[in-house]
Amino acid sequence: MIKIKNFIDTPSQTAGPFLHIGCTPSITGINIFKDELGSTPFKNISLNEEINIKGKIYDGNNDPIIDAMIETWQCDENGKYFNYQGFSRRVTDFKTGEYQLKTIRPGNQINEDGTISPSYILFWIVARGMNRPLITRMYFDENEIKSDVMFKNLNIQDRLKTLIPYTEDKKNFIFDIHLQGKKETIFFEF
Amino acid sequence: MINKHQPLRRFPDYKSSTVRSPENEPLLINFSNSEITGPLFNKNILNENDNNLILNFSKNGEKALGQEIFVHGFVKDENGNPLKDVLIEIWQANAGGKYRHQNDPSNISLDENFGGCGRFITSSDGYYIFKTIEPGAYPYPNRGIEWRPKHIHFSLFGSMFLQRLITQMYFEGDPLIKSCPMVNSIPDINARKLLVGKLDLSKTDEEKILGYRFDIILRGKQQTYFENKIEGS
Repeated sequence: MIKIKNFIDTPSQTAGPFLHIGCTPSITGINIFKDELGSTPFKNISLNEEINIKGKIYDGNNDPIIDAMIETWQCDENGKYFNYQGFSRRVTDFKTGEYQLKTIRPGNQINEDGTISPSYILFWIVARGMNRPLITRMYFDENEIKSDVMFKNLNIQDRLKTLIPYTEDKKNFIFDIHLQGKKETIFFEF
Repeated sequence: MINKHQPLRRFPDYKSSTVRSPENEPLLINFSNSEITGPLFNKNILNENDNNLILNFSKNGEKALGQEIFVHGFVKDENGNPLKDVLIEIWQANAGGKYRHQNDPSNISLDENFGGCGRFITSSDGYYIFKTIEPGAYPYPNRGIEWRPKHIHFSLFGSMFLQRLITQMYFEGDPLIKSCPMVNSIPDINARKLLVGKLDLSKTDEEKILGYRFDIILRGKQQTYFENKIEGS
């Protein structure tokens, strides 16, 4: 059923190439705030539980995007979301385009309807040239998502691998995001 | 079918959007816990002058240069209910149209008393206010050199990630708005108008500076797209 809204939600606009001034000001040499938001998703991550994710965001010319911001959002190891942790802000390097995230592996989440979702980290991406944010998820296990209720009826099985990072040791992950082309990442809308 | 109130991701008049937008339509799925939760920021992260860009970067009590203004308004949901505890971050160019950023190629001077960013958390009635200076318009490479209208970038966190928004406020009467491809990437003309801060003289006598009113509506759980809802999702 379509409900009538009283107000139109405010349109998105690009964050532009200078988003760092407002979102990660210390990168531009501005240090006036008490703290930089999202500098780490969890405090005191132990070496034992730490995972490292890095990667690049490739545009339609296959060039890495050097002025993007990624916000990540995730639950804890037990699948629970808390409003005081689990959030991080990463920016891509001005020269290489690489982002890096040190975090913990989230647990499987229990949904409102009782179903269990495979673990993932939400990636929310903005940059110059993006009129709206792009939203994707990094999952950890391709077999898990292939059988997940959310995906199994959708005709995108051949693209699900774009949501899985490369890893050799399950500790260090490479998660590249492709905006276009054969390797185009799956993006979500809600 | 597209949501004509939100900009098109690919809008060729805004050149860089053509290589920075996916070729496939995003996959419409039901939100799960990750979308209906989100980080919440406590007012204790704020310093007293975080929302005063005229003073928050100044040296020796000097003020940033430019036409002093305040920008204020209410943050609400789609039903008009006020949204409290919304973190708003803003950033902008200085009065000459120059950003304090190493990648800004402009040869306009920096203002040593102006950083260009501020933050605030809405009160219980959804109200926010910033004091700043009117930013300058500036040229940028697009289809040749084009001009950005004067604008302030706004970033907002509601209570859930679904509501996360980055947008821009433009200034009523700015003749550069109507030719701006970023504005025109929004198909619905009335939705474009929502991005224009309106001259607001209501508090001007008290503050002795010009005011602009900019209200912001954050979406709720209702899906943005209905028409292409995927079977079984």
